[in-house]
Amino acid sequence: MNYDNIHTTCPYCGAGCRFHLQVLDQDIIGIFPDRSHPVSQGKLCIKGWNAHEFVTSKDRLTKPLIRRGGGFQEASWEEALRVIARRLKDYPPEAVGVLASAKCTNEENYLMQKFARVVLGTNNVDHCARLCHASTVVGLVKSFGSGAMTNSIPELEDSKCIFIIGSNTAEQHPLVAHYIIKAKEKGAVLIVADPRKITLARYADYHLPQRPGTDVALLNGLMNVILSEGLENKAFISERTENIDAFKEAVKKYTPEYVAGVTGVPKDSLIAAARAYARSSASSIVYSMGITQHTTGVDNVVSCANLAMLTGNIGKPGTGVNPLRGQNNVQGACDVGALPNVYPGYQSVADEKIRQKFEEGWKTKLSAKPGLTVVEMTNEAEKGNLKALYLMGENPMLSDPDIGHVRRGLAKLDFFVVQDIFMTETAELAHVVLPGVSYAEKDGTFTSTDRRVQLVNKAIDPIGESKPDWQIICELAKKMGSREFEFSSPSDVMDEMARLTPIYGGVSYERLRLGDLQWPCPSKDHPGTPILHKEKFTRGKGQFLPVEFQEPAELPDEDYPFILTTGRTIFHFHTGTMTRRVSTLNREVPTGYVEINADDARAIGVGDEDMVSVATRRGSIKIKAKITSRVHKGVVFIPFHFAECAANVLTNPVLDPVAKIPEFKACACRMERG
Amino acid sequence: MNENFEPRIVGFMCNWCTYVAADMAGVARLKQPPNMTAIRVMCSGAVSPLYVISALKRGADGVFIGGCHIGDCHYQRGNHSTLKRIMIVKPLLEALGIDSRRVRLEWISASEGVKYAKVIAEFVDQLKELGPNPLREM
Amino acid sequence: MKEQVRLRCKELLSAKRVAAVWGLREKDGCAVPFLFQNPEEIDALTLSPKAPLSFTCRPSNETMLSVLQKKMPGKRIGVVARGCDERALIELAKGERIDLDLIEVIGFSCDQAQAEECVCSRPFPQNPVAGDKVKGIPEEKAFQGLLAMELKDRLKYWEAQLNKCIKCYGCRNACPMCYCKDCRMEQSVFTKIGWLPPEFPLFQFVRFYHMSDHCIECGECEKACPMDIPLRKITKYLRSRMEDLFDYHPGLDAKRKSPILTTVDEDPVKDLPDELR
Repeated sequence: MNYDNIHTTCPYCGAGCRFHLQVLDQDIIGIFPDRSHPVSQGKLCIKGWNAHEFVTSKDRLTKPLIRRGGGFQEASWEEALRVIARRLKDYPPEAVGVLASAKCTNEENYLMQKFARVVLGTNNVDHCARLCHASTVVGLVKSFGSGAMTNSIPELEDSKCIFIIGSNTAEQHPLVAHYIIKAKEKGAVLIVADPRKITLARYADYHLPQRPGTDVALLNGLMNVILSEGLENKAFISERTENIDAFKEAVKKYTPEYVAGVTGVPKDSLIAAARAYARSSASSIVYSMGITQHTTGVDNVVSCANLAMLTGNIGKPGTGVNPLRGQNNVQGACDVGALPNVYPGYQSVADEKIRQKFEEGWKTKLSAKPGLTVVEMTNEAEKGNLKALYLMGENPMLSDPDIGHVRRGLAKLDFFVVQDIFMTETAELAHVVLPGVSYAEKDGTFTSTDRRVQLVNKAIDPIGESKPDWQIICELAKKMGSREFEFSSPSDVMDEMARLTPIYGGVSYERLRLGDLQWPCPSKDHPGTPILHKEKFTRGKGQFLPVEFQEPAELPDEDYPFILTTGRTIFHFHTGTMTRRVSTLNREVPTGYVEINADDARAIGVGDEDMVSVATRRGSIKIKAKITSRVHKGVVFIPFHFAECAANVLTNPVLDPVAKIPEFKACACRMERG
Repeated sequence: MNENFEPRIVGFMCNWCTYVAADMAGVARLKQPPNMTAIRVMCSGAVSPLYVISALKRGADGVFIGGCHIGDCHYQRGNHSTLKRIMIVKPLLEALGIDSRRVRLEWISASEGVKYAKVIAEFVDQLKELGPNPLREM
Repeated sequence: MKEQVRLRCKELLSAKRVAAVWGLREKDGCAVPFLFQNPEEIDALTLSPKAPLSFTCRPSNETMLSVLQKKMPGKRIGVVARGCDERALIELAKGERIDLDLIEVIGFSCDQAQAEECVCSRPFPQNPVAGDKVKGIPEEKAFQGLLAMELKDRLKYWEAQLNKCIKCYGCRNACPMCYCKDCRMEQSVFTKIGWLPPEFPLFQFVRFYHMSDHCIECGECEKACPMDIPLRKITKYLRSRMEDLFDYHPGLDAKRKSPILTTVDEDPVKDLPDELR
């Protein structure tokens, strides 16, 4: 009899909690939390406590599948890889794309982008970070020079004022909310800016319920108050930043009265919140999708950066600009270059010196042209320009905006390969499906939202004939003639990655076995970096960027009078491929719902639990109504996890012009009974 | 305090005794306050602590449990369980901040119609003093 | 102290008096439960009063030792136990989840500092192999503040605290005494599910009630709560009521059933008002 505890990292959100999988004779019989972990400290959310159940679901893909006739036929690995290798060779670099996975390990994402660049010769590589924090990566790079969370999660406990905007932290990052509540109980001031009365809004000292999409106005309003009352940190501004004068000019018109009119937030609350944030000795900004998923996503993020710089809340414990990344490894996937315009470590594809370094490291000539992003790939597929796609661990058929359009695009692909652990809505459209493995069946690393690189340890052998994704990519690359994929373990992959990526320079499995490492960790004896921008910003001086408020792309009108905003619930995760196969979570929330305000419900004659039709210019769905005072009159909310009432059938695929992130958080809809 | 406050009571009454007594009280036209919502159970031992707290959460100002005298239970020892449970439910309610006088356990046999009417009248007066159940608003 | 425990474990394993020992092992800087099957493995055995022995495994809600006993029928298993662990074993045996006759307890006492941290009234097992039996901490310390509050303030306090709950079920998952296959906390009959916060106070109410005669003072519930809800204020108060009413302490006497399950003759209620006799 063999019993062991396998110490590993949770595969759900970006908090990066750790737990032990209890394995008895090759069976995962349970989970218990890691008491000594700096972030999770022996606690987990309901998803984490049940993170083993989906691993052995009977729905797991166990054999490669090839589309023949009307359906899928099981095939051998040899045959499947042969077909893929042969077909992918047919396409020129512009016509082929690769989608990496924010759920898979750093090593796998590194190999995926290397595959795209070295084997297929294309920079058309992207992943779902495009849909969530692309605004962060672009925005914070512009302001600070580095697009990642500036501080660390446990520091929130010592913050004296926490300003949460666009994050339902208690439901989406419960173990981060743990520190926020601790801070509040120690006397910190809590400000929550969210259109809905979310959990933390009930504990907030100030709840600012802004109209969806008016975040720039709100943030500029706060800064207007800070400047007009002389509460800005003049020393910090003069020593560490530039462009303050242009910024001050731009912010002048955002008076509390003007902002109250635009956002709907009472001007007294605005003024009080601004004062609290500016006066505290350590103020922290925490944000998430609520501000990134807009056509003005980059502007929203930049405004947060402006606010932190204005008050000198950077580079000290308990301060900073802290984006909460959604997926367990979306930070890592970005870090290791699964992006169309940068190599691993955010080193630009267009920069000749950098490209040369990678050409030497990978012994291949590389393209200088930045590639397509996620939504652009579907657009190009629909136009017939993108002909082939190799996708790993993503589900655009549920996660991308305007699903009808996604289906049309993917259906037009000449050759579509999907590598996943379940037959997802996306995999159903593929020509070849490859069975990958879950986090419990492979080794690797994930990087959490506070830049913490942590080990993922194999607990059981792969189910059926499934293979670790890193092995699949290497075998495919070898089949296509490449000699740059001779790796015997994920540790080898990390070693190569560390050589080419300064921020991961000192990361190795040997070191990770002794504890996590927060990048930048440039060398073998560097201890890692909990706080960024301590003495200077990554770009030298922080840049104030004046931002003008713009309305969301689609506003309510006579035909579509409600604002539809979408999001998540604590009981399920993203497209539900994992959580909807867990009995505990399904029991709590078996299907989707639309949150409607009681007044709105009465006006359209709908009671609690009645079915309603929600329609936008993109499509319509039938969904159950949940009457709640969490949403204001005129706003409705739908979580996007449920394929049978998919919120993304309705959402607007319009993009932020720079980050190319869709506006999931605001569009116009109408509702009727039945 | 609102002079017009009429407390609402949910009463779990054992089929074999208290429920009969309540019926008798009605037949005998004994003055009974109209505040009671009666729920007949086969034995007071069938009353789970969850029923008690649910009733209090759903708007009851008081919860009444009527069972047989010890030794007279139709199922021998059902009422023993009732007693033991209430001995824990009451301090639990107090610990949470709910006045345990809002829960009243009485042994009332089938022939004690007069006692039933008296006990309920007393309970109503007590609840009037305690005021509306604060749990209602939460 | 560690050495004494290790020695005893090695003796038991070598003499084949037990087929395996369930205790904590040092691995990657964590103290985690492990099934030691050879005397050589015992060198890695560690004592960490702060770390739980982890009785439960989800989602089957089975007690770990119950699973092990099924896998090794008829064999004796040694369990390295603190006071609370031993009490958990006794209660599990009463609940017919494990066969206590096939368990060999290798007990050790906690030190004064640990007892104070846990506010533990009995920080030692019955016959510890190592460590001195230090003085227990009176349980009132955990709930004095609560009783000092006025009733309406207490209600507001619990509303604020319990409404932080995010329904992780951590308190239930971590509790050695929560082993029901049909857990009441999961049933939608009494409270709206799929919504945060879970209905106050119904969600936690049933567990508090069950803990009155099951809580063995391990403190794992609070340690598992991501929202730092002070659950032990209530469970320790109910334990003190059980002591006052019935002179009952869960986990001390393997032969004594819970007074809630017995008749009023077997376990009379102390100071019962005459009308209820």
